Amino acid sequence: MADSEFDYEGTLEACARGDKGAFQRLYQREAGQLLGLAITLLGRRDQAEDCLHDALVKVWHNADRFDRSLGQGRAWIYSILRYRALNQLRSRGRLVDTDDGFIEQMADDSAQAEDIASDQSEGRELRRCLRQLERPRRHPILLAFYRGLTHEQIASRLTTPLGTIKGRIRAGLRALQECLQA
Amino acid sequence: MIPEAIEPRRALIGEYVLGLLEEPEASEVRALIARDREAARMALEWEQHLLELADELPAQSPSLVLWDRVQQSLGWAPAAQANAAEGVAGWWNSLGLWRLTSGALALLVLLSWLPGVLRDAPSGDSFTAVLQVPGESAKPGWVVTVDGDGTLKLQSLVADAIPADRSVQFWTLVDPKDGPRSLGLIEPGKGVTLNAEQIGAVQAGQLFELTLEPQGGSPLDRPTGPVLYIGRAVLIASN
Repeated sequence: MADSEFDYEGTLEACARGDKGAFQRLYQREAGQLLGLAITLLGRRDQAEDCLHDALVKVWHNADRFDRSLGQGRAWIYSILRYRALNQLRSRGRLVDTDDGFIEQMADDSAQAEDIASDQSEGRELRRCLRQLERPRRHPILLAFYRGLTHEQIASRLTTPLGTIKGRIRAGLRALQECLQA
Repeated sequence: MIPEAIEPRRALIGEYVLGLLEEPEASEVRALIARDREAARMALEWEQHLLELADELPAQSPSLVLWDRVQQSLGWAPAAQANAAEGVAGWWNSLGLWRLTSGALALLVLLSWLPGVLRDAPSGDSFTAVLQVPGESAKPGWVVTVDGDGTLKLQSLVADAIPADRSVQFWTLVDPKDGPRSLGLIEPGKGVTLNAEQIGAVQAGQLFELTLEPQGGSPLDRPTGPVLYIGRAVLIASN
């Protein structure tokens, strides 16, 4: 979970100045959640740890390129991890053979009035907006995020023509951004 | 072709952030993000929204060597130390991670939360704690037993080699607010017995841990080295 008390931007700026203690605090704060995502994407703990290692080294070396006027520090850190994980997945060329039960569950999770209210009060904008999408648009987006699948892989996993999948994802993202900007 | 209009452009960047674009489109968007601040802002904005999905996942404790590997890659840690040292200092401050270290540990935590179990121990209660490698279930290394008269025995199930310039230190933590308390140095593989005065009253849920410290023990009043083994006390008999 994001810790609203933790100053990700200030910590990255301290890392850019060579503050090792700041980097260690960031590790303690975020390594577990980053690893959770890496394991979900890569399906294997050893590869996920390699990915996290590489991402952390990159975070330290590139901390001076972080610019708080462009966005939030935590998002920047996760973008580095996800980018590395996706590269690892692509170079491996194999799908993660794992149980997608929780993705199915989230894909089935349509909007109920009380959920929308609780999402709103807890600041879960994306969850609220995803719930408002129809399942055929929501599901491929979740597969892309949690499994790092390509359009083609999603099409084959959902036994749906490639063009249809591309169209649904694009329409889904458009609807999401409309909802998120609203 | 990257659309000029804002909304289709934002959606395309969303596809890029999700990792869905293929070459050459992916490279075009990557180059756009590198040169155009507005595009970079859109990419980070997507990433920020997607954090909600990442946060739906349970955190996982990294293996103890990961922090050392990172430090080694950054040229911070001498190789010899990195080989011997495992894990990260400051775990005392990271209770969230402790709860995730293993199924067995989670069970102990759960037991310690049960009403009636978590309470001050009147004299006569006995406890046990299985100390495990953090993050590795089914790797018990040491067992702590506290008998009815308050005597604590620490017994080893493993024979770990410790570098000559390091010491293993035994700690306990009752309440995170009070901080950890050193119970002294131990010899790897050898048990130790401490009497009730040295230990104080033991409670269910109390943490015990062994850390790797500089020779002679931690220079501070808390652990400075990586956690080797950790576990919580569970009430086994109440008299």
